[in-house]
Amino acid sequence: MSEQEKGPGGMSRRDFLKLLGAAGTSVAFAPFVPWGKFMPNPSSVTLAKVPVILPDGTQANLNTFPVNHAEVITYPETADEVLNEEAFRKWQFIRLPEKFGGARKDTSAFRGYSMICLHLWCLWKYWPDEGRMRGECPCHGSMYDVMTGTAFLGPASLQAPPSNTLPNLDFEADSDGFMFISPPTWGVNSNGVVGYGRFA
Amino acid sequence: MAASLDRRNGFLEFIYWIWNELDRTIFTAIKFSFPARFVSPFGFLGMLTFIMFITLGVTGALLMFYYEPIMTRSWDSVAFINNDVPFGFHIRNLHYHGSNAMVMLAILHMYYQYFSGRYKIRNEVLWVTGVILGTVTILEAFTGYDIIFSERAELAISIAASLTNSIPIAGPMIRELAFGAGFHDFVLRFYAQHVFILPLVMLGLMAVHFPRFLVFDVPMVMAICGAMCLAGGVFPVDLGFKFEPTVPPGITVPEWYLTGLYAFLRTQYDKFLTGVLWPALFIGVLLLTPFLDRYKKFSWKDRPWMTAFGITGISQILVTTYWGFYIPPDTTIPLVERLVIDPINLYLVMILLVPLSFGFTLMMIHLAKEAERKAKLAKANGPKKVSEIKLSIKWTNWLLVALLAFQVFLNIAAFNAFLSGMNNVNLWITGVILITFAGFFHLYRYAMSQSKNIPKPPKIPNTKLLESAQKPLSKTDQTKLSEEKLPQGQVVENVTPEIKTNTAELDLDKDPNLGMSDLKKP
Repeated sequence: MSEQEKGPGGMSRRDFLKLLGAAGTSVAFAPFVPWGKFMPNPSSVTLAKVPVILPDGTQANLNTFPVNHAEVITYPETADEVLNEEAFRKWQFIRLPEKFGGARKDTSAFRGYSMICLHLWCLWKYWPDEGRMRGECPCHGSMYDVMTGTAFLGPASLQAPPSNTLPNLDFEADSDGFMFISPPTWGVNSNGVVGYGRFA
Repeated sequence: MAASLDRRNGFLEFIYWIWNELDRTIFTAIKFSFPARFVSPFGFLGMLTFIMFITLGVTGALLMFYYEPIMTRSWDSVAFINNDVPFGFHIRNLHYHGSNAMVMLAILHMYYQYFSGRYKIRNEVLWVTGVILGTVTILEAFTGYDIIFSERAELAISIAASLTNSIPIAGPMIRELAFGAGFHDFVLRFYAQHVFILPLVMLGLMAVHFPRFLVFDVPMVMAICGAMCLAGGVFPVDLGFKFEPTVPPGITVPEWYLTGLYAFLRTQYDKFLTGVLWPALFIGVLLLTPFLDRYKKFSWKDRPWMTAFGITGISQILVTTYWGFYIPPDTTIPLVERLVIDPINLYLVMILLVPLSFGFTLMMIHLAKEAERKAKLAKANGPKKVSEIKLSIKWTNWLLVALLAFQVFLNIAAFNAFLSGMNNVNLWITGVILITFAGFFHLYRYAMSQSKNIPKPPKIPNTKLLESAQKPLSKTDQTKLSEEKLPQGQVVENVTPEIKTNTAELDLDKDPNLGMSDLKKP
């Protein structure tokens, strides 16, 4: 049947109509493609230089913060209490033990690492005990070097870079020793991506 | 009183009318039957799974009245349901144990179909949709226990989200689109998936998956629901610890249907391989089963390779399920050594299980065939004796009364337990009541079928009867007469009272004792 209806281009009338139909359908549904943007959460916060606020509500000071000690800090903090409870916003704020230079009175004695373990996103914490002095994840046993944030043992250590090094925060201090978080850049080549890692 | 039970009143007429009119709906093709005597539940495990789905829908809808899918409040709202809302403990436990029962029944259902070869004879679509349904069921159960947002739930969410994130290239985008940006989104979206999206997907799949023969066995359904209550009473589900983002959690393991997968995750190997590809491979092989099975026969005894594969799978699932749970309790061993499973050990055991399972299967097939042969010989030698419990009508009635009295007693006990605040005792007794009712109903249907078997006392023909036979008869007299005309000494045919549904009849004459002729087919 269609054999008889071949047009000048060698295309049958029915095939031509099918192409038109397909084109019409595509165009009709094309505007819905950007609607996919509905899915990811658009909320974002501006990353600013903010004081390091400890759990007791005070600002961290490098003259008073104990050596070989860690606290949990929230960054970036929002006005929403619920969002501040987000594990992705929790960081271990660590003053290094003395043998790693924790006694120095400048920001080089401090480290800030995302608490999200790079393996399966459990929460790790810093253990200051003698013989440990490292970050340990209670879920699958990944261990992190407190100096660099790189996993040296456990499943996270076997992941290819950048997924073996924790994202970090950079700190600065004023003349009185009060500490601030420098605005980070989320990227594997700078401060890292929470839950994914950073090139050490 | 007797008259009111005999007469079909208007309301009953109406119910029967609806029941008959359903014939003209989508249910036309479905043969729905209430078995009139005990039938093996293996034949209708799928229906039992569906009953669990309904139970979960009802209890879940009730939980939604109080539950709040907000990161910082969900645990507290569950605690409120569990501790303060009257019967909240019951609803929550039924929902939890119902989910376990549903996963378990779905797995049993699948393996029964697997070993009996029912995915053949053009049932491939049923099988494939069934495997997908099973996977979605596990996802449904998984999203359910995650949204409590206890410590353990938070870890489960982390694992789900980080595994999605680990998919090469598209992973982070999929995670961002499907689960959102952080734990606040994860909880909310897991909730949306748990209560709406996944059940909707399941209903859609069920529309395809439902076979044409459905069995609603009241005693078995009641027994399963009772077992759920018993489990809730004896092993009430705990709340866990509320998740605190500043406190790293303790050691936890997932629910039992995921510890098998968890064992592989604990081997330190790449998480995408162990956490995504292995399960995908397992599900993929299951999906392809009907197309890999080239045997012409159905029984597991005639399909040694398929049976051996199935047994290997089951043994590996059992071993990894246990292994995933097991964490050495010795706290002096370093954490990493307790939590990491040596991959060489695990994979070696997995490989070793293959020849072991094959050997086991061959042995079982050999033994089964031997037993079959002997049974045939024994059958040839003489009639097979089957022991039966035969209860007289009097004793059946007394037993029914006794069970009724027992249920009354249990009801009082259950209410008493509730008044004393002993929720789990109340739930346990409720389970006993349901199981008692299962027994009660079984006895009831037995009695109903027996009541049709009472042989009529032989009647001496007299002149009165002859006279009446010559007269024009009223309708009732006619039926009476036809009964009396039965040849003496012939046993009335053993008819079981099946509550008949529609006219789509099948060959029911094969086994008159069964309401469902399909169940005994190979």
